[in-house]
Amino acid sequence: MWGTEWPRFEVIKQDTERSLPQMVGSVHATDPEHALLVARHVFVRRPSAYALFVAPAEAFFHVTQEALKDPKALEGPLGEEEAYWVFAKKSHRRSMVYGDLVGRFLARSPGEAVKEALLEAQGVAFWAVPERLVAGTEPTPEVVESWFAPAREKTYRLQSYYGLVTAKEVEHEA
Amino acid sequence: MAKLRIGYPEDPDYQERLEEFEARIARGEKIEPGDWMPAEYRRQLIRMISQHAHSEWVGMLPEGAWIPRAPSLRRKLILLAKVQDEAGHGQYLYHAAETLGITREEMVEALLSGKAKYSNIFNYPTLTWADVGIIGWLVDGMAIKNQTMLAQCSYGPYSRAMVRICAEETFHHKQGKEAVLLYAKGSRKQRQMVQDALNRWWWPTLMMAGPHDTDSPHTPLLLRWGIKTKTNDQIRQEFLNEHVPELLEAGLSIPDPDLRYDEKTGNWLHGPIPWDEFWKVIGGEGPMNRHRLEARRRAHEEGRWVREAMEAYAKRRLAQAAD
Repeated sequence: MWGTEWPRFEVIKQDTERSLPQMVGSVHATDPEHALLVARHVFVRRPSAYALFVAPAEAFFHVTQEALKDPKALEGPLGEEEAYWVFAKKSHRRSMVYGDLVGRFLARSPGEAVKEALLEAQGVAFWAVPERLVAGTEPTPEVVESWFAPAREKTYRLQSYYGLVTAKEVEHEA
Repeated sequence: MAKLRIGYPEDPDYQERLEEFEARIARGEKIEPGDWMPAEYRRQLIRMISQHAHSEWVGMLPEGAWIPRAPSLRRKLILLAKVQDEAGHGQYLYHAAETLGITREEMVEALLSGKAKYSNIFNYPTLTWADVGIIGWLVDGMAIKNQTMLAQCSYGPYSRAMVRICAEETFHHKQGKEAVLLYAKGSRKQRQMVQDALNRWWWPTLMMAGPHDTDSPHTPLLLRWGIKTKTNDQIRQEFLNEHVPELLEAGLSIPDPDLRYDEKTGNWLHGPIPWDEFWKVIGGEGPMNRHRLEARRRAHEEGRWVREAMEAYAKRRLAQAAD
């Protein structure tokens, strides 16, 4: 089915109920369920999270601003109309920003979906993926709690919990 | 993934595109996976990022050995969290390298076959608990100097991985410093242990920053393309200026008779670094080289049945879905 390497899934993380899902990186996994579990270990050891989504890396259509100069960049075969998630990278300078979700667009191809997104958002690069290929954690309180509370409550979550460590101030452990 | 055959000096548009590319870097823009880049930029990044990923991966071993023997539950929890972080850092970095067209499989193969390099520091043994503290404070301290610099890197995926990694490494640094200071102010036995650890780790730590700038032929190109933003000697100097006064304040002595403070520049200047040892360890003659690779190979082999079981499960589910 695949070589000695599991397929790659792009990981999309939503920090809080109100924040936009963002593309944060990728993991290798056998199936979407496995990808979600691995994504939690890799991307949510400490940060807050409300939801995680994954989709097969090869299902993403990607186009850069540079490529958009070519008017044919968004053309391609048209299929049945379906929902796409479109992400945009807003600036070349902000190093942590990868792709922010622009929205959900009904279109007959990923290129069409990006065209729709371009009416709403500027960006230096865009990604589009069919919604049917996106799997995610459920936004119910029980799921959010069981998936993400452990990271929030981790004893050694943040370096600031250590305060300032100096030779004068260290005391013996109880 | 098909190998990319673009960005070579013999390409007709190379010079023009190179100028555009260098102008983007000069403007402080990040280069992203789909963008044009010189083949040499891609090659240097794959070399650096994969070495870095291997270092995180092998770096779990020296400290992981102390998880079962940590002196308290608190220390055990700290160490567990730290080693888990290193595994995660390896994952971020392998992913960053994959965006350049190399596969995970190729990188794992290069590590397990002994072809790929990883940080020399992990070829030294952790003999006592005090080593765990010294690794956190000094080894991670040097790593942070390098990683903070790399967080400014011109390649977006590498820079993003570094920002995430730095946040966690700062925690590693602080817990190590705290552990060392406790021992430095503890019983005679504890003071001896931590001094002994410092004596063994000092020179290998200074070597982590890499050869002197005069012996580092890649540096000018890496600086020009914004892959690095500081040289090896600059990183080493930053490390010394921060850590030497703190180690001395803790009452520890640094095993370098030539170490001195230079009033004029405000720098701590070190004596000659034993580079012969550095090259010997890189060449595979370090105390733990063989052991580290064997441990990684064994882990890979012992995980094989899990990978096979998961693949079989995924295949069966796909077959059922098709029925």
